[in-house]
Amino acid sequence: MAFRGRRLETATVSEDQGGFVRVLNNGCGWGIASFTSLDEIPAMVTRANELSRAVRLDEPIRLAAVRGGPQTADAILDLDGDVRGVALADKKKLLDRYNGAMLAVSDKIVDTQSSYRDEVSEVWYVNSEGTSLYQLRPEVVVSGTAIGRRDGTIEKGLESIGLRKGWNSVQNFEDQFRVVAQRAVDLLDAPRVRGAAYPVILDNELAGVFIHEAFGHLSEADFVYENPQAREMMTLGRRFGKPVLNVGDNGAAKGLRGTLPYDDEGTPTQDTPLIKEGILVGRLHSRETAAKLAEQPTGNARAISFRHPPIVRMTNTYIAPGKKGVGFNDLISDIKLGVYACGAFGGQTMLENFSFTAGWGYMIRDGKVAELVKDVVLAGNLFQTLDRIDTIAGDFTWNQMGGGCGKGGQFPLPVTEGAPHVRIEEALIGGDV
Amino acid sequence: MIDRLLEATRGKVDGADALWRREEQTAVAFESGRLKSAGISEEAGLNLRVLANGRMGVAGTTAAKPDPKELVARAGASAELGESVDLAFPNPSPQSLSPNPTFFDRTANASLDDLVRMGRLLVERLSRPDCQINVSVQREVAETAVGNTAGARGEYRGTGIGVTADLTRIAGDDVLMIYDQYVGADLPTDADLEALVRSIDTRLEAALKIVTPPDGALPVVFTPAGLAAVILPLEQALSGKTVLQGSSPLAGKVGQKLFDERLSIEDDPLTPGRPLSRPVDDECVPSRRNALVERGTVGHFVYDLETAARAKTQSTGNGRRGIFGKPHIGYTNILFRMADGSARHDVGAQHAAPLPSRELGGGLIASIADGLIVDDLIGVGQGNIISGAFSHPVGLAYRVQRGEVTGRVKDAAVAGNAYDLLKKIGGFGRDGRWLGARWSPSLLLEGVSVARR
Repeated sequence: MAFRGRRLETATVSEDQGGFVRVLNNGCGWGIASFTSLDEIPAMVTRANELSRAVRLDEPIRLAAVRGGPQTADAILDLDGDVRGVALADKKKLLDRYNGAMLAVSDKIVDTQSSYRDEVSEVWYVNSEGTSLYQLRPEVVVSGTAIGRRDGTIEKGLESIGLRKGWNSVQNFEDQFRVVAQRAVDLLDAPRVRGAAYPVILDNELAGVFIHEAFGHLSEADFVYENPQAREMMTLGRRFGKPVLNVGDNGAAKGLRGTLPYDDEGTPTQDTPLIKEGILVGRLHSRETAAKLAEQPTGNARAISFRHPPIVRMTNTYIAPGKKGVGFNDLISDIKLGVYACGAFGGQTMLENFSFTAGWGYMIRDGKVAELVKDVVLAGNLFQTLDRIDTIAGDFTWNQMGGGCGKGGQFPLPVTEGAPHVRIEEALIGGDV
Repeated sequence: MIDRLLEATRGKVDGADALWRREEQTAVAFESGRLKSAGISEEAGLNLRVLANGRMGVAGTTAAKPDPKELVARAGASAELGESVDLAFPNPSPQSLSPNPTFFDRTANASLDDLVRMGRLLVERLSRPDCQINVSVQREVAETAVGNTAGARGEYRGTGIGVTADLTRIAGDDVLMIYDQYVGADLPTDADLEALVRSIDTRLEAALKIVTPPDGALPVVFTPAGLAAVILPLEQALSGKTVLQGSSPLAGKVGQKLFDERLSIEDDPLTPGRPLSRPVDDECVPSRRNALVERGTVGHFVYDLETAARAKTQSTGNGRRGIFGKPHIGYTNILFRMADGSARHDVGAQHAAPLPSRELGGGLIASIADGLIVDDLIGVGQGNIISGAFSHPVGLAYRVQRGEVTGRVKDAAVAGNAYDLLKKIGGFGRDGRWLGARWSPSLLLEGVSVARR
C-alpha cells in the first residue's frame, strides 16, 4: 500500500510462488535452476544436475558440515497479529493516519511518500543430507518520507519501521512520523555543514548503518575466501580498532528483522563475534566459504527469494555497548567544534572506502549540541575511521528499519543494525568546501 | 492468456489492461578466474489493472496456472480502495507497430558453451598477477504481451546479453576495483570483448600509481560511468511524476534554456539492438522518441497513462510494469546527442559500444592544468538527489596535471550541483559508449568542488 501526498497510489495483494534447486556433483561446479512453475520441479532438478555436470573444476567445491548434523524442524516465528487476517481497508486507514500526520505538520510539507508492506513467507528447505525445514516468516514495514519545500529548496525527512512481526507491532507510530516531517521543515532553514575534518558523534542509527556498510561487508567470507590479498587484509588477529570496539552479527537474536532460526542452507543461526576489544576475531560464512577457510559455518547464507542462490550475508549486526553509565554527554563534553551526525539516508562502501549520508546533523560547539545542519555526508577510509573510534556510549539500541541490504543483485534483504552513540576522533565531513 | 484474462473482466469492471511476461535466463559465473556455476531461471507472470467506478486496482501473480477469476476479484478489491482517476486505455494503433529490432536469433540460440567461451576469453585476457577477476555472462530471452479492453494489443520478443568483468587488486590496505560491462541485445563480437579488456586495462595501468588529490574548484572530466551523479537529478526531475507532485525543480520550465546549448538528451525506445527497446510500452502505448533536453532547452517530461491523465496530457510511452504492483514511469534508452561546435554527431544508433581508446578522458584533458577524471563515485543515489546537489567520495578517479594523467587519487570527494554544472559544458569526449541503458560520452565540467582530507 502506498500514498503519495494525499493520494493512495496503490493497494494490492500479491501472491508469489516458486522454487530453487542447487546441485553440486563431485569435481563439478554449482548447477542452479530457479523457476515459477512449481509443477516442473522434477524437470528443474534434472536441468540443475546437467548444469552442474557441465562445470568441471580442478579444485572441488567442499561444504563444511553443519553443527549438529542434518536438521529437522518446523520453525514458526511469532506472527504477532497475522496480517492475513486484517482487511485491506484497515491497512489503508493505518497508513492514512501516519501519512496524514506528516502532511498536517506544516504547509511547507509539499509531498509525502508513505508505504505499508506486509508479507508472510512459507519456506520449505530440504537437502540431500537429510535436512528438512519448514519456516514461517512474517514481516511488516511502514515507511514515510516527508518532503519540505520553500522556493527552490527541498529537504526530506524519513521514518521507517521494519519488523519480523505482524499487525499488532506497527500501531501507534504517529509521533515518529510527525517528528520527521517537522525535521524536513526545519532543514529548510538549516545551513549546509561546512566540509572539513571534525570530531564526529554518530547517533545509534548512523553508527549501526556505518558498522554494517563499512565493516560488515568486509567480514563476509566470500570477499576473502578466494583472494589471498584480501585474506591478508582481513587476517584474524589484526587490530581494527581501540580496545573499546566490539562488533558482532547475531542471526539468533530474539525478534529482530534480520533474525532467522535457520539460514537458507539449513544452518542454525548464531551470535558471531567479529571484533573483540579491537581485534578481528571472526567472519561470516556459508558452508562453502567455511570449508575453504577451514572454519565453522555461521548461518549467514541467505537468499532474498527463490529467484536467487544463498550467498554470505549479514543478519543483525551490532557495535556492542560501551561501559554502563557512559552517556551522550560524556562523548561531547570535551569537543570544541564537532559534528553530531544523525539518521541515515543511505550508505555505500567500496571496500575500504565508504560514504554515508546522514539524515541531518548538529554542530557541536564548546561541548554542547548547537545548530541544525544539513547535507552531512561522512566519507572516509574504513581502517582509519574504525581506529579513530575512541569512545562508545552505553546506550545501545537496535534500529529496526525497513528497506534492507543489497549485494550481488539481491535487494532488499531484511537486516537489522544496532549500536550505541559512537565517537570518532576525526572524520571527513563533505559539504560546502 | 491476455485475451482470456481480459475476457474474464467483462461485465465485472469498466475497463482493464494486462501484461504477461515470460523470461528465461541462462547465466555462467567465473569467480576468481574459474568457472564456478551455471544456472537457469524461468519466470512467468501476469499483471492486471482494472478500472471500476472510476477507481484503479491492480493484482499480479506468478502462479503456474493463474485463475483469471481470482485475479480479477483481487484487482477489484484493490480498486475499491483506490482513488479516482480519469484514465482512458489507448485504442488500437492505426499504424502497425515498429518492427522490433531487439530479438537476435544468435543470442537466443547461444549454447551454454558459447557463454562459457566468452567468459573464459575475458578471464584469460584480464588475468594479471595479484589481481582477482570475476566475470559473469548472462543471456535473457523474454516474451511480452500487453492488451487492454479498448482492443489494443502488443506482442514482442527480445533478447539481452550482459557480460560483466570486475577486477580487484589489493596491495596492503589499498583496494582497487575496476568494473566494466557489455550489454546488448545481440551477442558481443570478439572485438567488443577486446574493447572491454582494453577499457579495464587502461584504467588499471593509470591507477597503479597513487598521487595526492588536488583541492579547490577545478575542471573535472566525468567519464560515461562517472556521469551517474550528474544525470540522476535530471532523470528524476524530468519524470512527469515529480513534476505532478511539485517536487521537480524543472516543473514549469519546459522551453526554457537551462543547459549548455550543445546538450541534447533523449529517451529512445526504438534504438535498434538495445535490450530495453520495444515497439510498445507496458500499457499498450506505441513507442516513440522523446526529447528530454533539446539544445540546452527543457523538452518533454515523460509520462505513463496514470500520471498523464492526472496532468491532463498524453502518455509518452514510458509506462513500465512488473508482475506485481501498478505501472509506473520508466525510462528506456537515454542518449546524449551533442552538437559539438558546428558539427552535429548523431551517435546513438550503434548496436554496440565503439571501441574505447587507450586514453582516459575521451580527449578532454589536454587543456586541463590541474583537475580530475572521475570514473566512479561512492554513494550515488543517496541523499536529496532531485535538488541537483551531490557530494561523494571518489571510488575511482585520476589526477590530471598539465594535460596528462599523473595517477590515481584516493581520499578525495567531489561536490557540486548538477543543474549548475550542466549550464556550461567544457567539452564532449570522443569516447561515447553504452553503459547499461545510457549512451553518453565523457563530459568536461568546470568548477567542480574537489576536497581532499
